[in-house]
Amino acid sequence: MIPISHYLTLGAIIFIIGSIGVLTRKNAIIILMSIELMLNGVNITLVAFSYHLADLTGQIFAIFVVAVAAGEAAVGLAIIIALFRCRATVNVDEIQLLKW
Amino acid sequence: MINLSLLTPEIIVLITALIVLILDLLPWRGRKVLLATVGVLGTVGALLITMGQWDLREEAFYGMVAIDNFSVYFKALFLIICTLTILLSINYITRGGIDLGEYYSLVLLATFGYMFMASGTDLITIFLALEILSLAVYILAGFMRHSPKSNESAFKYFLLGAFSSAFLLYGIANIYGVVGNTNLKDIAQYLSQEAALKNPLFLAGMGLLLVGFGFKVAIVPFHMWTPDVYEGSPTTVTAFMAVGTKAASFAAFLRVFFYTLEPLKGQWVPVLWLLAAVTIIFGNTVAIYQKNIKRMLAYSAIAHAGYILVAMVAGNDLGSSSILYYLLVYSLMNLGAFGVVIIVEKKEEENLTISDYRGLAYKHPMLSAAMSLFLLSLAGIPPTGGFVGKFYIFSAAVSGGYVGLAIIGVLGSAIALYYYLRIIVYMYMYDPEKEFLDGPVPFFSAAALVITAIGTILLGITPARILELAHYSISYLGH
Amino acid sequence: MQAITTFFWEHPLTVITFSPLLGALILLFLNKRDVSLIKSLAFIVSLIDFFLSLHLYFYFQSDTYEMQFLEKIPWIPDWGISYQVGIDGISLFLVLLTTFLTPLAILSSWTAITKKIKEYMVFMLLLETGMLGVFIALDLFLFYVFWEAMLIPMYFLIGIWGGARRIYAAIKFFVYTMAGSLLMLVGILVLYYLNYQTTGEYTFDLLELMKTIPPPAIQTWLFLAFAISFAIKVPMFPFHTWLPDAHVEAPTAGSVILAGILLKMGTYGFLRFCLPLFPDATIEFIPLISILAIVGIIYGALVSMVQQDVKSLVAYSSVSHLGFVMLGIFALNTQGLEGGILQMINHGLSTGALFLIVGMLYERRHTRMIDDFGGLSRQMPIFATFFMLVTLSSIGLPGLNGFVGEFLVLVGTFQANKLYATFAATGIILAAVYMLWMYQRVMFGQITKPENQRLVDLNLREVIILVPITLFIIWIGVYPKPLFQKMERSVQHLISQVNRPRIIKVEREVFLVSGPNKMVYWTNVPRIKE
Repeated sequence: MIPISHYLTLGAIIFIIGSIGVLTRKNAIIILMSIELMLNGVNITLVAFSYHLADLTGQIFAIFVVAVAAGEAAVGLAIIIALFRCRATVNVDEIQLLKW
Repeated sequence: MINLSLLTPEIIVLITALIVLILDLLPWRGRKVLLATVGVLGTVGALLITMGQWDLREEAFYGMVAIDNFSVYFKALFLIICTLTILLSINYITRGGIDLGEYYSLVLLATFGYMFMASGTDLITIFLALEILSLAVYILAGFMRHSPKSNESAFKYFLLGAFSSAFLLYGIANIYGVVGNTNLKDIAQYLSQEAALKNPLFLAGMGLLLVGFGFKVAIVPFHMWTPDVYEGSPTTVTAFMAVGTKAASFAAFLRVFFYTLEPLKGQWVPVLWLLAAVTIIFGNTVAIYQKNIKRMLAYSAIAHAGYILVAMVAGNDLGSSSILYYLLVYSLMNLGAFGVVIIVEKKEEENLTISDYRGLAYKHPMLSAAMSLFLLSLAGIPPTGGFVGKFYIFSAAVSGGYVGLAIIGVLGSAIALYYYLRIIVYMYMYDPEKEFLDGPVPFFSAAALVITAIGTILLGITPARILELAHYSISYLGH
Repeated sequence: MQAITTFFWEHPLTVITFSPLLGALILLFLNKRDVSLIKSLAFIVSLIDFFLSLHLYFYFQSDTYEMQFLEKIPWIPDWGISYQVGIDGISLFLVLLTTFLTPLAILSSWTAITKKIKEYMVFMLLLETGMLGVFIALDLFLFYVFWEAMLIPMYFLIGIWGGARRIYAAIKFFVYTMAGSLLMLVGILVLYYLNYQTTGEYTFDLLELMKTIPPPAIQTWLFLAFAISFAIKVPMFPFHTWLPDAHVEAPTAGSVILAGILLKMGTYGFLRFCLPLFPDATIEFIPLISILAIVGIIYGALVSMVQQDVKSLVAYSSVSHLGFVMLGIFALNTQGLEGGILQMINHGLSTGALFLIVGMLYERRHTRMIDDFGGLSRQMPIFATFFMLVTLSSIGLPGLNGFVGEFLVLVGTFQANKLYATFAATGIILAAVYMLWMYQRVMFGQITKPENQRLVDLNLREVIILVPITLFIIWIGVYPKPLFQKMERSVQHLISQVNRPRIIKVEREVFLVSGPNKMVYWTNVPRIKE
């Protein structure tokens, strides 16, 4: 039997990898993927807790998160495509019209 | 109990959003105004029903949604914001070449999300509401598809928004793991045990929640997206999210932190104290250096989030009812100020720097008088609503014993005065060099300005009634 | 008609305060091209207001210190805020000064203001309402509302109709005064909750708040919060830097109002709030404030001496004169206080008149530099007469108003502290030097500039403006008794408030430290009936 702490650690690691990805990568698509990774880290945590607590809320929540993630991906990709049409780049360093 | 009938206002808004989408298919040239009219009718109808729910104290969806005075107050506020935004948008989106039916539909959907932010009593509901409104507003921010700035702002908003949602979500997951449930009531019950207050996992979850909410309400250091997004988005959308998203996020923030996590006050109050001070000082100082009026208003919005945090720090009933009052005033005066920006703005980003307002008062006296009113109100000068709001907040801070924070707050307002006055200087103290508008002030925008202006003045001169409402709105939210 | 008269008899202060506002609203609906109609209407409104305010003078009872013409209507009952107004012997004359100077200021802008006349008149009338409100408010919240709201019209008056650096001056004026008053806002709130702690009642009612005195340690802070805001307004050294800018850039009428009335709000604030609310702190701060006042007197006089611009000379002389007022107030005896209050009125009259005179010169020559003038007395004899009289009044020549005030201030100060009085007296000598020197350079000698040959003397309108002021200058100089009679009771009451017996030591919950700590805490016994 694998103890819950393993799952939680896995979830945390994936979440952290995702957030590091968001902060360091330059390609918008990869950033989007990193955000998905973060959400999946959360999903692992939720499901692990759900199993551990023998409570279904966590799993239901995880399904909601998956659905929301799909919505986010759709909107996000659409925005990135619109941006690419305008600027012909998805490199976040070059997207800097707006700054103070 | 599902109690679907209690959600009538939300459902009306949702259905209106769908009707607008379908009506846009009509092969009729004048349909855009029809869409706006339907949108306004829907929100006003929902507003009336919402008002009828005052003093109801019910729950729906097995305790996931609460119909209490708190949510009714906020829902009414969101519906007013939605109506005013639609009124301001009618002319603007035609001028900007983005008069698609989806626009109104998305505004209504975002409002739908706002409403659940205020009434959600379960972390799942709050998360879903947040996502509903965020997704709608991401699209709205990039609605000017051909403008690189608009695209960029949508992109930045999306990336940072999704990033912050992930934090919020991780926080929720941790809290769920500790409590075993996501319902706010159960969390509060869990916290009533002494031992629970020191659970590190729970505290970590709370910290992550704070980060998530901090992003949404735009407090320093989670504010980076705000100026860029506010500047790049279509101005009507900027106005909508500057007031709507902020108010909605504060509604949920307030319910979760102020009431559910109240026993942990010792942990989050010092953090919020610091954030409030930094936010007020930073927002006001940086705003001074802005040349673009939307960007300036963005920093001003950051500073205002700081003032609201002051009330949260105060941590008493006075504090939370002052937030309710302040958000109402803030919405009206900010929508008004953005409304003037919307009217004056021309295609191709013209008339958006502060010096473009040179001499406006001598071409459009009423418009400048209204703008001055909103700016003075934002600066917190009597006899405007902004003054009463600030007074309320600082009063709460002093009564909670946070005199130091109140002093930082008022010093921030003194700094703020400088940049608000600068616009008035340009409007009144220089002579005009050009024509501002291509025609007369559009009717619907003018109507929105009149409503906001009257509201701003009345809230300053006869605030007693609304103060009472704000006070009763929090009365059932027990500790 | 009957109803209006009854209403006026029942609410004289409200009517007097808000009739300019009503006038301003009517002006808004006039066509901006009807220039003469707009000007006349504004003048008539302010003149009517002056006559209405005479009612206060004649029906004022001088045998009581109680607030008179009191009105109280709940405004925000939940917070204990009410619309409460009333006047006593201190504010009576400031109200009269306001209603007296405003019509003159409007008359003085008859030809000086050429652009945007409608807006100008609207702001003048709004300003009058704001200033009157400050003097009659007896509720701290109401007071604060008027105190700040009044800044807006003044800001526009300087910013739109001012001189070359008007925008800088306007923003400086606004931000300076606002920064001070915001601290006062915090002070007001602390006072409000302290009062709640002691009495269990939420109220902003000044008369109620006066009955309890905060603990001395907190009084010091509260006093500072209020005093800084008032000191900026006075302005006391070293907070005076906004004043020369604002004065020099403001249009004539703006300077008249600024010097004549706005500065008095600062000193009035000390009298109405600082002294009775924080008696211990007042006594504690006497040395500091007196020294700052003396520094102001001497510094203002010295700087005036080297000014090239007549207007900034008069502006700096205000710093000096207001130093006298502050010194008199903080002598805390009858002579000092009465002298201080009288000096407030005197300064309003004579400095107001000086600004009017400078404005008249400026309108003719479009310069205010002393070097550009010289020998004007031959060209403008009537002007020279008025100017002389006002100059002498400002110096404090016996027989004119300035003498009575300054003399009393010095007597009062002498009783309180001989050293202070000695230093302050040098200020009077310096005043004679800079004023007379200026007068000499402007009015006497040879006419060196050809432009000055063509100067015309005062016209009827300008004489009408100056005559009432000079009448008052002489009247107060010769027969000031009615004024003292009316202010005497209030001043004595104020002194008794500062010196009232108080303070027992008890243990209580401390309120100002975050979180409830137990600590030794001072509270007061109920005031002993005088």
